[in-house]
Amino acid sequence: MTGSIATNATAWAKENLFRNWRDAVLTVVFGLILAFLTIRVLSFVLGSDWEIQRVNMRNSLVGPEISGTDLWGPVIGIWLGAAAVGVLIGAMDRAQHVDDPGAMLDPLNPAHWPQLAARTLDRLWPLLALVAFSLLLTTSAAGLLVAIATLALGFLGRAVGMRLPLGSLRWAALAAGLAPLVAVLIIRYGFGIDWKDWGGFLLVAFAGAAGIALSFPLGILLALGRRSKLPAIKALSVAYIEFFRGVPLVVLLLIGSLVIGLFLPRSLIPSEAIRAVIIFTLFTAAYFAEVIRGGLQSLPAGQEEAAKALGLPGWRITTFIVMPQALRNVIPAIVGQSISLWKDTSLMFIIGLAEPLRLASAFTRQPEFRGQGLITLTLFFAGLIYWVVSFTMSRESQRLERKLGVGQR
Amino acid sequence: MTVAPAPTPARPPPWRDVRVLRIAGQAAVLLAVGLLLAWLWSNLQTNTERLGIPAPTDFSYLDQPVGQSIAGSDLRPTQSRLDALQVGLVRTIQIAIVGIILTTILGIFLGIARLSSNWLVATFARLYVELFRNTPPLVVVIFIYLGMFINGGFLPPQGEAFEIPKLLAMDIRGISVLWVSFTGSPWPYLLILALGVGLGWFVSRWRGRAQDATGKPAYPVLSGFIVFLAVAIVGWLALGGPTEITAPSVGADGRIAGGNKLTPEYAALLVGLVLYTASHVAEITRGSIQAVARGQDEAAKALGLTPGQRLRKVILPQALRVAIPPMSNQYLNLTKNSSLAVAIAYVEMTRVTSDLVANGAPAFQAFLLLAFLYLLISLATALITNTINSRLAIPER
Amino acid sequence: MTTEPAGGGLRDATVTRGAGGVMIDMEHVDKFFGDFQALKNINMKVGKQEVVVVIGPSGSGKSTLIRCINRLEEHDAGRIIVDGVELSSDIKVIREVRRETGMVFQQFNLFPHLTVLDNITLAPRQVRKTRRAEAEKLGRELLERVQIPEQAEKYPAQLSGGQQQRVAIARALAMQPKVMLFDEATSALDPEMINEVLEVMKELALSGMTMIVVTHEMGFAREVADRVVFMDAGQIVEVGTAEHFFTSPREDRTKLFLSQIL
Repeated sequence: MTGSIATNATAWAKENLFRNWRDAVLTVVFGLILAFLTIRVLSFVLGSDWEIQRVNMRNSLVGPEISGTDLWGPVIGIWLGAAAVGVLIGAMDRAQHVDDPGAMLDPLNPAHWPQLAARTLDRLWPLLALVAFSLLLTTSAAGLLVAIATLALGFLGRAVGMRLPLGSLRWAALAAGLAPLVAVLIIRYGFGIDWKDWGGFLLVAFAGAAGIALSFPLGILLALGRRSKLPAIKALSVAYIEFFRGVPLVVLLLIGSLVIGLFLPRSLIPSEAIRAVIIFTLFTAAYFAEVIRGGLQSLPAGQEEAAKALGLPGWRITTFIVMPQALRNVIPAIVGQSISLWKDTSLMFIIGLAEPLRLASAFTRQPEFRGQGLITLTLFFAGLIYWVVSFTMSRESQRLERKLGVGQR
Repeated sequence: MTVAPAPTPARPPPWRDVRVLRIAGQAAVLLAVGLLLAWLWSNLQTNTERLGIPAPTDFSYLDQPVGQSIAGSDLRPTQSRLDALQVGLVRTIQIAIVGIILTTILGIFLGIARLSSNWLVATFARLYVELFRNTPPLVVVIFIYLGMFINGGFLPPQGEAFEIPKLLAMDIRGISVLWVSFTGSPWPYLLILALGVGLGWFVSRWRGRAQDATGKPAYPVLSGFIVFLAVAIVGWLALGGPTEITAPSVGADGRIAGGNKLTPEYAALLVGLVLYTASHVAEITRGSIQAVARGQDEAAKALGLTPGQRLRKVILPQALRVAIPPMSNQYLNLTKNSSLAVAIAYVEMTRVTSDLVANGAPAFQAFLLLAFLYLLISLATALITNTINSRLAIPER
Repeated sequence: MTTEPAGGGLRDATVTRGAGGVMIDMEHVDKFFGDFQALKNINMKVGKQEVVVVIGPSGSGKSTLIRCINRLEEHDAGRIIVDGVELSSDIKVIREVRRETGMVFQQFNLFPHLTVLDNITLAPRQVRKTRRAEAEKLGRELLERVQIPEQAEKYPAQLSGGQQQRVAIARALAMQPKVMLFDEATSALDPEMINEVLEVMKELALSGMTMIVVTHEMGFAREVADRVVFMDAGQIVEVGTAEHFFTSPREDRTKLFLSQIL
């Protein structure tokens, strides 16, 4: 009834916006600010000529050097990634619903589709919005097909993950971790696309994924080394960790770009992009080490003692008893650090690699777009790419944290 | 009493002896690392020889003239590269300090706004945080610099300066703001100000004791502040007014004169760093206030304290202790992020090094020095934070 | 074959009442933590199938004593010989001794990320290379023995304190040790759960296991102990049967302690 809606609205406004005269002033001031900003942003987005981005969409995604049939490489990579993520989510869901498997949403059951759609929208709306916007802008039928296939593979993966036997969660996680590696290998060696031709979002996604994957084992070693009672090993670990945490990543990337070459025989010098990945790995490993060290410290000493008393040898104690528990405790922090690395991949701009910001700048130097002040637009889009992925990952991380806090054990 | 069988000898063979293994293990790791470092070092020496650049231990490049000037500083091209690096170091510290102050103000304000009961205020703060936390700092800085200042039309071209009379004037060459500067040396007046702070402190302590003794309000903070203000004013008059105000003004030809000019590079970096870091500080502020258990506020309420008293005496002191470690971490991050200057040609430490290397300085030595300087800054920050932490720590059993 | 302790042998812990042969022999054992001496000239023998209960005030070194036996602590002087093998810094020896001794902790120390059954079968599978099916069979039998066979698939957090401690006992037993060491196994339990654990320990003692039990439970000592050893300030002060401690303790320190706990 409109009457009660109106009264509810006024009641809400009274409580939240106009509680007293000071509140009212704040409401007016901030209302004006928000309105002003919203109008500015909307008029910018809607009023600008997006031709420059429409023409260069492929470049933004994979860089200017990949075209034609080679594009199948990144597409297959995305599909692999979507399937792996789907399997992981399905397996995680299964582990949450040990006793009530019927409560899970099943992609293979049409009755669940509305709910699934609603949930997916809720979780992924910024990403979906960006993809939809790009598709509308470029009116690319191929792009639409790829996007639909990606979604479908994601759901299929979830259906598979749900049906895996209990206890497969760690294998699913491992597979999800390996899928990006396989995708990278396919693109690099299956399609023969050299590292220097990788660009755009593909380059940044690769650098981020590789950095996270490679730095994880190194971080574990460093964390163990930091906690070691052997002074030499502890000193080395501390030195490493403090160095890579004290020097800014920008400086480290410059060192990687300009100095690493001096340390290696000419034949072994890796390409620019790989040098950046090496730096990301070494850098993130130090931060992972601190996170994992926190997890190790939070473990009661009795765990190791009980394992020793049973006669288990040292390395097995670490592998079966200490590490699984320590890592599980710090999953949120590890995800947080991974999101941080993802944002830091933008720094590849500084060493001249073709990541989205540099490409955005390059687009405005193309003959047909020169000198029109379009840089604001292209930078906006590039920034949007970074923001959407980071925001999505961050929200998922918060959900994960809540689940881990409440759930089993 | 039964007799135990003859015990096994107490000296185990070395390959099974735990003590020996510990030492051997460390020796092996040290050896491996040492070999790796030695190999890398020998490569370095070979390559530098081959390429004709100074050997890795040769730091003489620092004495050579830098050959160019640095915008916004007095550095002459004939001065040494070491001097250039010093200028860069000062610039890094300066932007860090200004950035930290501004970030703290903005961040705390936003953090409190997040908790406001006013929906618009809280939403505004939340949108701000969600926007800037998820955007890489480089993107923020580049967007402001390229997308707004230089090419985006935010700064009008020369000759068409935007002006808030006497307060602010900006065009593409920079932003000039109303500024107070010292005629001659600032030290005499700064000394007087320090004296004022000390005197104000004593007065507020004295008034605070009076308040404790009699129970009547004696306004310690207000008294201390008044004393400080008095000293500041008297001192200023006594020195004959050692300061002057420069106000920006736009001439007939559209050129800006006067005021303190911030280059677009500096402004973009500063604003970008502050906007980004403030989002993290806001979350820390919010988290630390929420971390103080509700029971504390309720107990204070039950004791009859006013909201202001509750905030100042109960909530904030506890929130402060929780907030200091992550806050100082953000300060360090801001300092390290000042290296983003290299992307927009604001010449601080990192950009100086990058430019020197581009102009022929040996890369290994130059970046080693740069890394060392950042490590020093990190170490100093850690020491200061630890001291503050232990001073503030609440004693535990 | 048992030997009665001589009348003047009140301080002599080296006289065993075991069935035959010496299981654990500690000679002139000292242990320092920095400047603090936790164990002073400990001389003790524990015979096969003997049950020795160690009592004493906190800080007296009781825990340190048994933790030296399975090398969770390293003794600084003297000799510790377990079933004929002398403890040294030899890894092989340390591992062997840890296989043959089982320990039950005050804090249970179950592995929270493994099921109850996995907790029990982990060590036999990893250390003795027992096959999974066999290890699980043994595990379930042990769970029967400690009277919680239905908990096999649960996680430790889902069990009560008493049940967790019984699982811990089963886990130690799964390695088929020759000696069981109990470090205040019931001190962290709620009173209503202490009994179920003590029952298991009693059954274990009666089945012929060699046991060293650090505890405050004098009732348990009375029923099951062959000898009771009283420690204070790192030294063995008095030794005797449980009965002896209740009726006629000799030393003043013993009397003081007993007056505080009984």
